[in-house]
This record gives sequence, C-alpha cells and structure tokens, in this order.
Amino acid sequence: MADVPQNAGYMVAAYIVTAVILLGYAVSLGRRSRNL
Amino acid sequence: MAELLRQAWAVARKDLVLELRTRTALVSAVVFTALVLTLFNFGRDPTAVPTLDLAPTVLWVTFTFAAMLTLNRAFQLELENQALEGLLVSPLSRTSLYWGKLIANLAFVAVVDAVGLPLFVLFFNVSVSRVLLPLVGVIALATLGFVAVGTLFSALVIRTRFAELLLLVILLPFLLPPLIGAVQVTARLLAGRPLSESVGYLKLLAAYDIVFVSLASFLFRFTVDE
Amino acid sequence: MSLVRRGRWITLVALVLLAGVYVRALAFTPIERLQGPAQKIFYLHVPAAIWTEAAMILVGLAGIFFLFLGDPRLDRFAEASAEVGTVFATIVLTTGPIWGKPIWGTWWTWDARLTSTLFLFFLYLGYLLVRGAVRDPGLRARYAAVLGICGMCLVPFIHLSVYLFRTLHPQPIILKPSGPSLPDSMLVTWLFSLLAFTLLYVGFVTQRYAVSLARDARETAAAEHG
Repeated sequence: MADVPQNAGYMVAAYIVTAVILLGYAVSLGRRSRNL
Repeated sequence: MAELLRQAWAVARKDLVLELRTRTALVSAVVFTALVLTLFNFGRDPTAVPTLDLAPTVLWVTFTFAAMLTLNRAFQLELENQALEGLLVSPLSRTSLYWGKLIANLAFVAVVDAVGLPLFVLFFNVSVSRVLLPLVGVIALATLGFVAVGTLFSALVIRTRFAELLLLVILLPFLLPPLIGAVQVTARLLAGRPLSESVGYLKLLAAYDIVFVSLASFLFRFTVDE
Repeated sequence: MSLVRRGRWITLVALVLLAGVYVRALAFTPIERLQGPAQKIFYLHVPAAIWTEAAMILVGLAGIFFLFLGDPRLDRFAEASAEVGTVFATIVLTTGPIWGKPIWGTWWTWDARLTSTLFLFFLYLGYLLVRGAVRDPGLRARYAAVLGICGMCLVPFIHLSVYLFRTLHPQPIILKPSGPSLPDSMLVTWLFSLLAFTLLYVGFVTQRYAVSLARDARETAAAEHG
C-alpha cells in the first residue's frame, strides 16, 4: 500500500495565502468604509 | 431592413473611401503582418520544430494583431473635427452606424488577411491549396466574431486615455474562444484531417458569431447615446 | 442598522465561519489517500471558483437591468460584485498552482477550472479598467453595463472552448479531488466552506456598495455646488 504523499507544506501555504487575501481585502474595505 | 442596409452601406462606404485615399491603416497592417511572419520565421529553428505545429498559432496571432490595428482606427478618425457628433445628429440609426463600421472593419481585415495568407504560405512553406476553401471559411467565421465585439468596444474606449491599450485589454478574453476554435480547426485542416473532426469547434465559432454579432449590434446604441 | 455596519457584521460572521472551516478542514477532515494533505486546498479553491463565476454573472445581470431601468443602485452593485469577484479570482489563481505543483508536478496546467478562472480574471480586469478610465458617471455606468453583459455572455463560450480543447486533447489522468464520490465528512466541510464564501461575498459586496454609494453622493454634491 503506497504511502500518502507528504505535501502538507503546500496545503499550509494555500491556506495561508487565502487567509491573507481575504483578511487583507476585509481590512481594506473596513478602512475605505470608515472614511465615508 | 432595407433602410438599415442602405444606411450601413453609406457609413461603410465613407470609411472605405477615406481609407482608400490615405491607406495608412491598411499599409501599416500589411507591413506589420509581413514583419511578424518574418520574425516568427527567424525566431525558430526550422530543424527542431515541425513547421506544422506552430504554423496555425503564428497565423492567428498575426491575423489578430493586424485586426487590432484596424479596429483602433474605427472610431479614432471620428474624433477629429467632431465627426462623431455629426454622425449622431444625422438621421442615421445607431444600429446602422454599427453595421457600417462593422462592414468597413471586416473589409479592412479581409484585405490584410488576403495579403497575409499568401505570405504565410510562402514563408512557412505550407500547402493550403487543397484546403483553401474551408480555410478561408474558418478565417471568415472567426474574424467576424472578434471584429464584431471589437467594433463595439472601440466605441467604448474612444474618449479614454490609452484607448488602444485599453481596447486590447478588454477585448482579450473575447478573443480567446474564437481563436481557440480557429487555431484548432486551422491546425487540423493543414494536417489534412477531415473536416468532420473539427465540427465541435466550427459549431463553437458559429454560435459565437450569432450570439456576439447580435449582442454587439444591439448594445451599440448604449455606447453612443448621451 | 446602516449599510456599512450590516456589511461589517456579515463579513465578521463569514470570517468566523471560515475560521471554523479552516479548523475542520485541517484537523477534522480525513486526508485523501491518493493526493495527500494538499487535496484539502480543494475546500477553499472550489467555493472561491464558484463565486468568481457567480459574481461575473451577477455583474452581467445587473448590467442588463441597469440599461433598461437606469437605476444607479444596479450600477453600484455591479461595481461591487466585480471587485469582489476579482478578489475571489485571485484566490483561485493562487491556490490552483499551489495545489497543482504537488499533484501534477507543474505550477500551471490548462485545466478547465483554472483556465476559465484566468479568462474571468481578465474580464474583471478589463471591466474595472474601463470603470476607472471613464470620468463621467452616467457614461461610466452605461459602458460598464455593456461590458458586463458581454462578459456574462462570454462565460458559456469559455466553458465550451475549454471543454472542446480538453475532450479532443486527452489529458493525462487527472486526480479528481473527490475520487469516486465525496465521503460525507469531506462533503460537509466543503458545504460549510461554500457557505462561508457565500457570506463573504454578501458581506464584501455590501460594504463595497456602501463605499460606492458614498462616493456617488460626494460626486453629486460636488457637481451641484461646483
């Protein structure tokens, strides 16, 4: 039975990138909507 | 309907006569085509890559860029002397204005392609005689599609900065489906495959043309009305 | 509650839900045997892709209604949806290669979802560029609506051309993210993620809409007193 591939690093990277993009946009929107 | 065609032809004829007198856009496009084909030829190692692999892509990249050159002039010349306002104030319907521009653009692109195709055959040493008719058909189908969208978009960008660049950027996604179809069918034709293998792509091209020519023709009035 | 506060609350709830999805996906969902942990990127990648496309369709629909009804609220909504769609497209286009590298050995593959999202990204870019390039609000709204409608109509052609390309050019066996069928535990995680992304879309669009509303109010006030 083959080993499960050890690629958790990629998983972590993708999850971090997504979080950065979403949080970054949320913060940007938050700032833009505060100075209305 | 007859009135529409008459008006459209009036617009097209004006553009064609203007262009025939100055010939600037046509000459630029033709020279550009020759240049690009020459460049592609020197950019590759003829012993490494079989010509037939790259040939369809080269052909279509060249045709597309040349078409872009002609599209850019579609409304630019109306900006001078406020010719566009003059056109709009006239009893010309918006739709016939669009069709006139479309016909003129297609005529220009046809001339450029008519020069480009023999050059392509010459430089790349491909045989098209057996498949000339279907090849011309594919060229016509694909070109109609993206020139129809391009004519509409060229009206969108006239008053913006970097209009030519903006036109290319917004047009790009709309070029991809017809180009994918065009390149694939061209490749199959040049490789001597039966036309039946390209049916899916041909349907794609036909559907694209029907949808976008109607859509562009309909939406045009929103781009020029105040 | 004002629009901004409502938007902020929805976004907050969405982010909390997303955090829960993170925990569930990373710690409490089984690892897929063939692909390993990297398969879990699927839980973020696919919902983002779904909303990238949905947002474009909504931009198009808003455009249609705007052209016929003239209600500026529709234009503001379209603007908001386009920006949020671009953000989601970025997520798809970054997580896609990160997923692709360990699974297919290459950063980019022309697989159906990535290619379609790339086209959509270009569409969004063009749309936002046109909005930025046209100063007059009325003109801007109309031009954007025209482009948005064309973009929406392009979506089926994107899928068709990608589908044709892939079926007529057999790819090496692609590991599907779910294998023969998605086990319940994975399905639940995926559904929660879809819900989170849906709420994120709503929250983001609401806030972005409020920003546009304020900007429009400022522009009108300036025009009146200017």
